[in-house]
Amino acid sequence: MMDVDPIDSEIANQYTQPPRRRQARPVDDAHPFDLDAYIASRTTVDRLLAITASCPSIAPQALKLAFNHIYRLRDTSLVQAALAAYASAATYPEGQGLPPPGDVVVVDAAWVEEVTKKNLAERTKLEVELKSYTNNMIKESIRMAHRDLGEHYRATGDFASALKHLTKSREFCSTSQHLVIEQRNYSHISSYIYKADAALESTTAATSGSAEGAATAVSAQPTSKKPSPEREQVQSKLDFAMALSHLGQGNYEKAASLFLRLDPPDQLGDWVGKLVAPGDIAIYGTLCALASLSRSAIKAQLLRNPVFSAYIEQEPYVRDVIQAYMSSDFKTTLDILSKYSTRHYIDIHLGTHVNDVTQHLRQTAVVLYFQPFETIRFDRMAAAFGWSIEEVEREVVALIQIGQIQGRVDSQNKILRAKKTDHRAELFEHAMKTALDIQSTNRKLLLRMRLQQVDLVVKSPKITLKRDQTQNLLDSPMAIVDLS
Amino acid sequence: MSQPNLPTPPQQSTPQPEPEVQQQPSPVQSQASPQTQTLAQTQTQTQTQTQVPTSPTSAPENPASVSLVNIVTAITTDVPPWQLNQHLKTFAPKEVRDVVLASLLPDGQDPLSLLDMQANTLGILHILAARLHTIGAPNLPFEYVAEFCQTFVPEQARYTPEKVTLLAVGIPLLAEVAGNVALAIQPLLHLLTRYAPSMSHLTTIHPIFLRTCVSTRHFAAALPVLAYPITIIDTSISDLSYNDNLVYHYAGGMVYAALKRWTAAQEFFEICACSPGSASAAIQMEALKKLVLVQLIHEGKTTPPPKYIHPVLPRLLKGTPYSAFVNAYPDRRAELRSIVEGELVFTTEKTLGLVLQALERAPRWSIKKLTSTYLTLHLSDIARAVGIESVEEVRGLILDMIASSEISAQLSADGTVSFFDPPVTFKKEDVDRVLARAQEQATLLACLEREMARSKEYLTKAVKGKEEASWGAMDDDSGDRMGSGLGWVDDIGFS
Repeated sequence: MMDVDPIDSEIANQYTQPPRRRQARPVDDAHPFDLDAYIASRTTVDRLLAITASCPSIAPQALKLAFNHIYRLRDTSLVQAALAAYASAATYPEGQGLPPPGDVVVVDAAWVEEVTKKNLAERTKLEVELKSYTNNMIKESIRMAHRDLGEHYRATGDFASALKHLTKSREFCSTSQHLVIEQRNYSHISSYIYKADAALESTTAATSGSAEGAATAVSAQPTSKKPSPEREQVQSKLDFAMALSHLGQGNYEKAASLFLRLDPPDQLGDWVGKLVAPGDIAIYGTLCALASLSRSAIKAQLLRNPVFSAYIEQEPYVRDVIQAYMSSDFKTTLDILSKYSTRHYIDIHLGTHVNDVTQHLRQTAVVLYFQPFETIRFDRMAAAFGWSIEEVEREVVALIQIGQIQGRVDSQNKILRAKKTDHRAELFEHAMKTALDIQSTNRKLLLRMRLQQVDLVVKSPKITLKRDQTQNLLDSPMAIVDLS
Repeated sequence: MSQPNLPTPPQQSTPQPEPEVQQQPSPVQSQASPQTQTLAQTQTQTQTQTQVPTSPTSAPENPASVSLVNIVTAITTDVPPWQLNQHLKTFAPKEVRDVVLASLLPDGQDPLSLLDMQANTLGILHILAARLHTIGAPNLPFEYVAEFCQTFVPEQARYTPEKVTLLAVGIPLLAEVAGNVALAIQPLLHLLTRYAPSMSHLTTIHPIFLRTCVSTRHFAAALPVLAYPITIIDTSISDLSYNDNLVYHYAGGMVYAALKRWTAAQEFFEICACSPGSASAAIQMEALKKLVLVQLIHEGKTTPPPKYIHPVLPRLLKGTPYSAFVNAYPDRRAELRSIVEGELVFTTEKTLGLVLQALERAPRWSIKKLTSTYLTLHLSDIARAVGIESVEEVRGLILDMIASSEISAQLSADGTVSFFDPPVTFKKEDVDRVLARAQEQATLLACLEREMARSKEYLTKAVKGKEEASWGAMDDDSGDRMGSGLGWVDDIGFS
């Protein structure tokens, strides 16, 4: 996971970092990717910047688009970030032939200056407002001022301050959540979600309760305006945020089940398009599910899930992947995945996890494939997966070593054999070993007990030294003899 | 077993005779006066009268009693041993006592020659202890001590455990004077086996004996003692300190490690490292380091220490090169080697021997890991996986491992190694033996539990616990009461 500490300079840094593990993502006929279609549904400049930084072949196009969007916003730091991202794209070998950024876009210095000025003025104004409200102790106004200031910071890209103010404002928590997702600080999401959940609970309680209750509870304030169907909408937003946070933390199984339980797209309200596209949800959910869930779980939760299939409709290739996987056609599965790998790698939420997810998927596939066999030749496995024999062997050996496959490799004849265990012998061996272990543990514990009974325990030489354990250790009473 | 009404003897430190301390013969004591000069040769005469100690028992209380002759008489008269012991401990102030006991008879005769080793065990013990620890005391033949260790009467000796400790401390010193510390091993062994009520008792002789064995590198000599695990700690038999327990088990670990009996070494080091305490001793840290190394040698990996180990120890270990060594073991051999070569700690802490053994065995563990993954593998593949350059070396290693039945494998002429599952063989007797032992343990534990349930401490705590739990039950559910009840049992057992 990228460490995103959303201070302006660090955003820029993040894109200029020399790409160590990340490679340039090719976009060509073999790896189709339609930038316009991808971006059309979302307006996040972040995504464009990520694309600019990792795909030299479409970097100029992405940069241009990004600038179009930037001019509509108020965050001047993005200009720098965009240029930095472009520069980093140019460092790839494939990016050598890129036109200099000046040819692609013209940085409108006047605009930058004007917006900066305007931002500053507004911030000062809001801060003054907040101060005066604080002096007047008008709770409601303080809250509003915090919210306004938070929104302002968010618009200008200072997410940390924005978060601070929004949390203070105790605005309906989905707002601050939205923000956390934008800055991709996954570890924070879950704590906010719990808060938001609690807020939801209290809201329902408040609305069903007396009117006075709603007025006094600050957190319940926004709800009095919200009609009840909106509550469900917020709930599904929260579900989505939670799922995303699990994905961000590499907790694929939980992420999968949450994604698969999401409500229909229209419940996500304005987040669809602004934050996430239904197609994205389809991809996230499917990949997580394939990587972590068992076949039967996939069948039950994914294939027989009418709501989720609505998401899948948005990205037809996802359906192909699932089909291929379920019919144990792993070669096709992996081919499709690698075909669309660019699409996955440049996704800001999924990008860092694609490798892990794919690795999981490959492993489950190998395990599943070997299950019915007692012995199998590597060349057959290689054919089924579309790998070389060495690759198969490497994968299988790794799986045996982590205990996923109960088998052994005949490296000379390139055969994988299932392990035959003599359960009776195993049981005996285990019993004998346990008996010895328990006996020796018993003995040790009894001795320990006796020692304690007569208070023959190690004591600090002096009470004053108690804190200083190392001092204690210096008083070694024993001559040390080398056993060479 | 010792007499139950025997008062616990006061802790007695090694007597430090000072030249200024005077031994004053009493003028009224006719038989002693002419010879007192010789009696207290090392002392300067003064006129001061030593104070007569208050003796609560029937011992003669006049100043005249402070003479070796009287003492010898007291020893030889037929009084109950506990009375004699009391007398010998209190007939004069400490310093005077030792000087008197360490002296010769007026006529230059050795008091020991008058005493019978069996009948006067207690008296001889006092004299020996004093003489071994008094500077300038008359020469004590080593053979005499050795013979005494073989013939003394344990029941008598148990009246004065601290003198036995002094004797045990003195034996290696005496042997050193005689020219060979190793001489001390045999007498100490006799003293230990005869003095301890059973071999499972820990005595102060145990650590001294083992230290002597280890420092003279007579490891095998310690085995008869080590074979009996310590299960009984009785401070009335022996004035033990926590250090005796630590040193004994640490030295035991050293003996077993030196003899390459790794399982036993592990157990001893573990006992030392995990001994209870509010603080941790340096020796426990040493034991933990060695435990880790022995585990690497024997099992190829470390097992986490029991959770009752003092938490400071594993934490301290983490920062040391040992921890780095463990983490790199066994596959990253280049790293292992650089750790060993780069760190002086192993040399200064004298663990280099074990470290090198572990390093040498590293490829074996790597190969062993391969056997669970592969059925057949070419020698060159093994060499690559293990990180050894020459195929011949691997061949030798594998042949050796097959010969010592560490792995079961077959090496064919073209260099292919086929691994098999190790054959599992169990005899009925083995199983029966294990069963019998398990039953034995169960009986023992049941006994202990009953004993504990009867003990006063447990009952008071249990009753108190019940009261508290019933208070708690007013607002908690009954499941909680169960929990607290169990908590008490744990409490008594392990804390």
